[in-house]
Amino acid sequence: MRAFQVINPGVYTSLQDLGRPGSMKYGIPASGAADRFSARVANLLAGNPPEATVLETTLFRLELLALEDLVIAVTGGDLSPLVNKRPLPMWHGVLIKNGDRISFRGRKRGFRAYLAARGGFGGPQFLGSRSVFARGLMGNPLQAGEILEAEKSGVQNPFLAPLPAEFIPDFSHRPPLRVILGPQQDRFSPRGVETFLSAEYTVSPQSDRMGYRLEGPKIEHTQGADIISEAIARGAVQVPGDGLPIIMLWDAQVSGGYTKIANVISADLDGLAQVMPGEKLRFSAVTLEEAHRALREERERLATVRTLIESLR
Amino acid sequence: MGHWPKIKPSGDSAALIEFENRIDPEVNRTVRALALTMESDRFPGVQEVLPAYRTLMVTYDPLQVEYPVLVDQIQGCLDRAGRIDLPPRRVFRLPTVYGGIHGPDLERVSQILHLSPEEITGEFSRARFLVYFIGFICGLAYLGGLPEKLRVPRLTTPRTWVPGGSVGFAGGQANAIATDQPSGFNYIGRTFVILYDPRTFPPIPFVAGDEILFPSVSEEEALKARGRQAEDFL
Repeated sequence: MRAFQVINPGVYTSLQDLGRPGSMKYGIPASGAADRFSARVANLLAGNPPEATVLETTLFRLELLALEDLVIAVTGGDLSPLVNKRPLPMWHGVLIKNGDRISFRGRKRGFRAYLAARGGFGGPQFLGSRSVFARGLMGNPLQAGEILEAEKSGVQNPFLAPLPAEFIPDFSHRPPLRVILGPQQDRFSPRGVETFLSAEYTVSPQSDRMGYRLEGPKIEHTQGADIISEAIARGAVQVPGDGLPIIMLWDAQVSGGYTKIANVISADLDGLAQVMPGEKLRFSAVTLEEAHRALREERERLATVRTLIESLR
Repeated sequence: MGHWPKIKPSGDSAALIEFENRIDPEVNRTVRALALTMESDRFPGVQEVLPAYRTLMVTYDPLQVEYPVLVDQIQGCLDRAGRIDLPPRRVFRLPTVYGGIHGPDLERVSQILHLSPEEITGEFSRARFLVYFIGFICGLAYLGGLPEKLRVPRLTTPRTWVPGGSVGFAGGQANAIATDQPSGFNYIGRTFVILYDPRTFPPIPFVAGDEILFPSVSEEEALKARGRQAEDFL
């Protein structure tokens, strides 16, 4: 079913699902929605399974023309979504009509918004996923004039209610990013580790879905920045010879030869996806147990939201 | 310096197992043996097993398996990995055209090394390269076995675009890049065999432990391999 025509593709908009875990051993990043909580909730509100394919759009300017009556939901960062120039409620299932125009006028909070349509977006699958990773020849970001297909037609039982506010993430509140130190923290001087954990860093404009480059105080190594290349976990903070950290993210290379001082915990990656270049970050070290507790809480929050939406549908 | 292997967390969802800190076929063999043992055991909660030169990364779901339990499982595998048989080594012979537009760095490397272009391509095309592991981006095979004579540094300014299939070396390492991409390696030739295709499974032809040769052929011969699978050149 033809769902939308792309009038303006915006700054960077791509189809994303939950990615292709299991492909790292082929040298292929897992990709997938950067803010997975927002992507999953958009799907649930639109009546989809949480892993359906959504649009991930950045900053502003995306404009879509509906080619069908559709149930949609927009979550994630507040990029001022409009339907025919009226505000489109976020975190809310919405029924739109054939001919309606959805646009994103400007960023208020966060950095990436997610748009789910009932049925989920279609498109070619690569290694079991529709997540766009252009560098790996797996799809392209949205282009003007492109037609977006949704998997099924027809609108039944729309859940046209808002998500209770207590479940909506607050992207204006930004606690320090929690990290597990290592695996190469012994390659940094005590002063280097201290710098990393106390300084404020600014996200560089040269940041994208591959990684966030940070600007700020240089982190001191003890015996150089190079290691024999090895696998890189998502959220790894690598520090090359210039002493400036790079957080390796969703579309990052899967192996590399720079020392890694720490790794952002899994529960904080969704929030990191909503940090915009130019904004500031701090880090704080936690234990493995604290990281796992935070991940459990995050999964429980998602399960609660799912139960709530499915019971009200 | 300590004793190997060491097991440590790499973030909250991966364990890193480190072996002796050098690039060496025997060390890498130990890594591959552990990888194979972990993969065949299929522990609940273990997601990916990622070998590299001298490390193995095991990613896991911490809500399905606790870290100390995972470490015990890895220890058990380490005890058994020494007895496992690795699959037989496959040898790929990928027809390669050297020099000219296909090897833009051959002349420069020849000047740096004080070797003729023929000596360089002769050394390179006779070398047997071991696939240590697959990584970086788009299934890059990290290759060992570059002849000592061919040690040159990386380019001071990496090229922004190098065509897929380019074959080259730098800093004691060799590679054949799978897709068009930026690179700081010195490229002396090109193969037209398909090295990466995300529409097929698996998307890349090589696995760690394979061997690759880049025999020198004419441009005409090299172009005949365009669009063909690497498995045709075993």
